[in-house]
Amino acid sequence: MAEQRVVRRLSRRDFMRLSSLGLVALGLGGCVMPTAVAPAASPQPSPALKKPVTIKWAHYFDPLQSPAQKFNYAWMERMVATFEEKYPEINVEPEYFDWDKIDNRSILDYEAGIKHDVMFGSPQLMAKHFQVGDYIDLTPYIKQWPEDEVKDFSWSPVWASARQDDVQIGVPTGVHTRSVAYRRDMFKEAGLDPDTPPKTWDECLEAAKALTKGDVWGLGMYFGPSRATIELYFAPFVWHFGGELWDPATKKATFASEAGVKAAQVIYDLVYTHKVTPESAIGGTYDDAILASFLAGRLAMGWGFGSYWIVSLEEKGFIKNCFPAKAECTEETAGVMVTPTAPGAQFTNAWTLSIHKLSEHPAEAFKFLEFLIAPENLYDFPDAGLPARLSLWSKAEFQSSFYQKWLEAARKGRPMPPTVHYPELADTTAACLQEILVNKAPIAETLKKFEDEWNAKYAGA
Amino acid sequence: MPSTLERSIAFTRRPGWSLYLRHRYRLPYLLLLPVVLLLLLFLAWPLASVFYFSLRRTPLGEPSQFVGLDNFALLFREARFLGNILASLQYLVGVLGLSVPVAYLAAVLISSKVRGAGAFRTLFLLPWIIAPVVSAILFRTMVDPYTGPVARALETLTGRKYLFLVNPQLAVITIIVHSAWRSFPLEMLLIAAGLTSIPQELYDSAKVDGAGGWAQFRYVTLPLTKNQLFVAVLLITIWTLQDAEGVYSLTQGGPGYTTEVVGVRLFKEAFIYFNVGIAAAIGVVLIALSVLFMVFYLRVLGAGEGQ
Repeated sequence: MAEQRVVRRLSRRDFMRLSSLGLVALGLGGCVMPTAVAPAASPQPSPALKKPVTIKWAHYFDPLQSPAQKFNYAWMERMVATFEEKYPEINVEPEYFDWDKIDNRSILDYEAGIKHDVMFGSPQLMAKHFQVGDYIDLTPYIKQWPEDEVKDFSWSPVWASARQDDVQIGVPTGVHTRSVAYRRDMFKEAGLDPDTPPKTWDECLEAAKALTKGDVWGLGMYFGPSRATIELYFAPFVWHFGGELWDPATKKATFASEAGVKAAQVIYDLVYTHKVTPESAIGGTYDDAILASFLAGRLAMGWGFGSYWIVSLEEKGFIKNCFPAKAECTEETAGVMVTPTAPGAQFTNAWTLSIHKLSEHPAEAFKFLEFLIAPENLYDFPDAGLPARLSLWSKAEFQSSFYQKWLEAARKGRPMPPTVHYPELADTTAACLQEILVNKAPIAETLKKFEDEWNAKYAGA
Repeated sequence: MPSTLERSIAFTRRPGWSLYLRHRYRLPYLLLLPVVLLLLLFLAWPLASVFYFSLRRTPLGEPSQFVGLDNFALLFREARFLGNILASLQYLVGVLGLSVPVAYLAAVLISSKVRGAGAFRTLFLLPWIIAPVVSAILFRTMVDPYTGPVARALETLTGRKYLFLVNPQLAVITIIVHSAWRSFPLEMLLIAAGLTSIPQELYDSAKVDGAGGWAQFRYVTLPLTKNQLFVAVLLITIWTLQDAEGVYSLTQGGPGYTTEVVGVRLFKEAFIYFNVGIAAAIGVVLIALSVLFMVFYLRVLGAGEGQ
């Protein structure tokens, strides 16, 4: 006899009962579910690690982005492998973010409760990080360093940027000072001496006029919609003429001052009066306007040339034995000179390393941070540009005239104003300069209009 | 004798009817409940939170404060924000003005019986499936003054350099062309759906009446694809008004604030400056703009409906 299959239908009442039970179970489960609570950052490293911990390292190295990033990525991989070999109880998991979003990511993730450990950060945004509180205070850890070790880092303006109200929230990994890269061969062709590049702004302008010929522009700059515009071009000229972008006492923007007007006029004249800087500098990207154009031979001088691009000069063959730094470093096709603005009117920053406030392993994260900034590891970090440690500068590798010029530039460098609203300040000034350049708007009035707009929202904050 | 409707109304007014209805439809309503809850969670809540935050000042790391309409007052006092709205309207008009005719032509092509119509259908859909950031980079590369094929070709033809992302007019044209290029496939698909539903007899009789190509389009095609056109225009309007990624990737709102449309401004305020209150206020303005356009389209394109 065939077995009779009994199919039991679920009655409406049963269905409701089951659904209610399920919902109650879910609700109770939710209530008793342990919530992850970030432990308070402890300055004491864990005494003995019984099981491996994994820390995350937020970086910005994309090997496909540019040749320079390829070198950075290789360095990062080597650092992780070496560290894990040395400390088998700690695993490092790199996590990639775009360089211009990594700071915002840290802030947003902190607000959203997403954990990170070691993070790269930008010195210009340290005031914002401090206000939000997404980085831990590194002071208790750094206090355990020998005094010389602290001095080795604290000489650079970047160290000061990462110190907010006596709280150290970051440690510099290098010195990103900017200089002017110039083509020695084009100098010779124009009858200029490549061994004595311009030292003052007037000399630089005269050289730019002599070098502008055909498809070659005498002086490359960038005035696009980016932070680079304020940092590398507008601010140095404002400082050069004795002005400031922002007043720390009143917390007001002050870029429409007499110095600001002069700075904007210099920039305007470069494009439209002297015609030594291409109009295309008002758009595109900083990388294209300076690095790519300089390497392609479209610029005789590239102003705002970052020390992180030394590797690209080496790869192109413009300099020899300079990356990694060697005593035999020589300037072949290209040379560098200190930005010819007044002393102290040059911008310097660098990537800093910080520890995210939600890190569950701050002690291990700091151990990794210390490993990264060890002299032997920082030495060939391409994106460091220049050594963050002053002691490294006395080594034979950095005694060439090429590197000594970078050191001079770094010593003269200064950071951007420590306003919490720095991105807004940078965007406002870039947009203002663009309006002046593109629409040929009256300089003083336009600067005032944009300054008032910024102050209406952010003055005093 | 009472009509069917009157009888139905009388029936529903019998004593105990309400109780019967509640009992009868309890299960369907309960089954709908999860969807309703999800909609409330993912649509109503975010929408309500936009209005809530637009009335507050929310600095990161500090408690938020109720500021009434201050965020709106701050925005509407700014020349920059009024410029943002104008830039958005200009962008929208440009995108619709360019994409709708192209979409009609493409729709006619892909719904015709010409050889290779299928290939065109696939080809025309490509812009729609490419991520906006990728297509923006593609456009930026094409208009690069030194290496971009478009800029170089124009320079060769005219003998002067074209700085697409520096010249304000060219920058506006670039973002419009980019967005129109990305928008027309969706419009094309919707219009093509309408085109295929038009009986051939209507065209045949129009021809008999002496209607030429334009008259056929005006008196047959356009009226009979009006519904699809309405949906397409409405979708593209909302899409364009809210667009931030495409424009930001191309120009970042520059030069100056020329291409800083409302969506880009919102993105900057929310994710670069972290001014949540201002960003939410901009969001409310965007919603209001979208609703305004919806009402306008309903009046213009919906006029004559049912006649």
